[in-house]
Amino acid sequence: MELKVNQEQIDRLYRFTREHFVEHYDLQTELVDHLSNAIEEQWKENPKLSFEDALQKEFKKFGVFGFMDVVEQRQAALNKKYNLLIWKHFKEFFTIPKIVITISLVIGLFYFFKYVFFYELMALGMILWFVFLIIALFYEKKKMKKRKSQTGKKWMFEEIIFGYGSFSGVFVFPLHVINGFTNFGNEIPNYYVLFGISFFLVSLFLATYVVTKIIPSKAEEYLNQTYPEYAFSN
Amino acid sequence: MKNSALYKGSLNTIIMKLLEEKGRMYGYEITQKVKAITLGELTITEGALYPALHKLEAEGLLEVEVEKVDNRLRKYYKLTEKGNKETVNRLAELEEFIRNMQSIVNPKLSY
Repeated sequence: MELKVNQEQIDRLYRFTREHFVEHYDLQTELVDHLSNAIEEQWKENPKLSFEDALQKEFKKFGVFGFMDVVEQRQAALNKKYNLLIWKHFKEFFTIPKIVITISLVIGLFYFFKYVFFYELMALGMILWFVFLIIALFYEKKKMKKRKSQTGKKWMFEEIIFGYGSFSGVFVFPLHVINGFTNFGNEIPNYYVLFGISFFLVSLFLATYVVTKIIPSKAEEYLNQTYPEYAFSN
Repeated sequence: MKNSALYKGSLNTIIMKLLEEKGRMYGYEITQKVKAITLGELTITEGALYPALHKLEAEGLLEVEVEKVDNRLRKYYKLTEKGNKETVNRLAELEEFIRNMQSIVNPKLSY
C-alpha cells in the first residue's frame, strides 16, 4: 500500500512554509501540495524514511534561500498582473462611450483653469487628493486586517488590490508637480501647457478612480479567477 | 534544470508544450514529466518552475484550477486561448533555433 501524507502532516507543512517566510495562503497551498507529492514519491522508494527527513531533503532542493525566490517572484508576477489590470480599466476611459466623459472632464478643467487659475488652488486640490488617498488606504488596510483575523489567511493578490500595489508610489507624484509649479511664478501658463496640465490631472484622477474604486469593487471576481481555492477556504 | 543558460531560456516553452499535450498539469507533475521524458537528463528545479508558472499566469497565457486531492488542495495549470496561440509561435521559434544551431555546430548535417 502506498504511503500518503496525512492531515496532521499537511498541517505541519503549512506551518513549515510559514516558518520559512511564506505568509500568503495561496503560495503556501501550492508549496504544501508540491512537498507532499515529493515526500510521497520518496516513500515509494524508501517507505522507512521519516516524514521530517523526507521534508528536509525536499526543502534542500529549493536552494540556500529556500522559498524566498519563489515568494519574491510570485510577488513580481502578481504586481505585473495588477498593473495590466489597471491599464485595462484605464484604457476603457479612452474608448467609446467613456471617452466622452474623459474629454468633457479635460475640457471642463481646461476652461476652469483658464478663468480661475491660480497655483494655490491647484496646490490645495493636490493636497486634498493626497489626504483622501492616505485615508482610503488606511481604511482598506484596516478592513483587510479584520478579514485576515476572521479567516486566518492572507492572499497576496488581495493585499495588492487593497494596498493599491505599486500605484501607491504614484500618489506622492503630485507633490513633485506642485514643487515644480512653484518655480513658475504666478503667471498663467500658455494654453498648451494649461491643456497639458488638465489632461494630466484628469488621467491621474481616472487612474486613481480605477485603483481605489473600480478594481476593489470587482475584487471578488478577480480573486476568484486568480485563486480558485478561494472558494474552498472561505 | 541543468545549470545552463541554454536550457533556462527554453523553460517557458517546455512548460507550454507539455500543457498543450496534457491539457492541465500541476507543478510537481511537470517536474516529474520532464524528468521522465528526458530519462533523467533534464530536471527542472522547484526554484525555477514556480516562478515561471506564475509569470506565465500573470501574462495571461495560463489559467488555474484548484481541486481537492487526498485531503489537500491541488493547483492545476492550463493554457488559455492566448496561451495556445503563443505556444505555436514559441515552438516554431525554438525549432528554428535548433535548426540554426545544428547547421552551425554540425555543418555536415545541414543541406
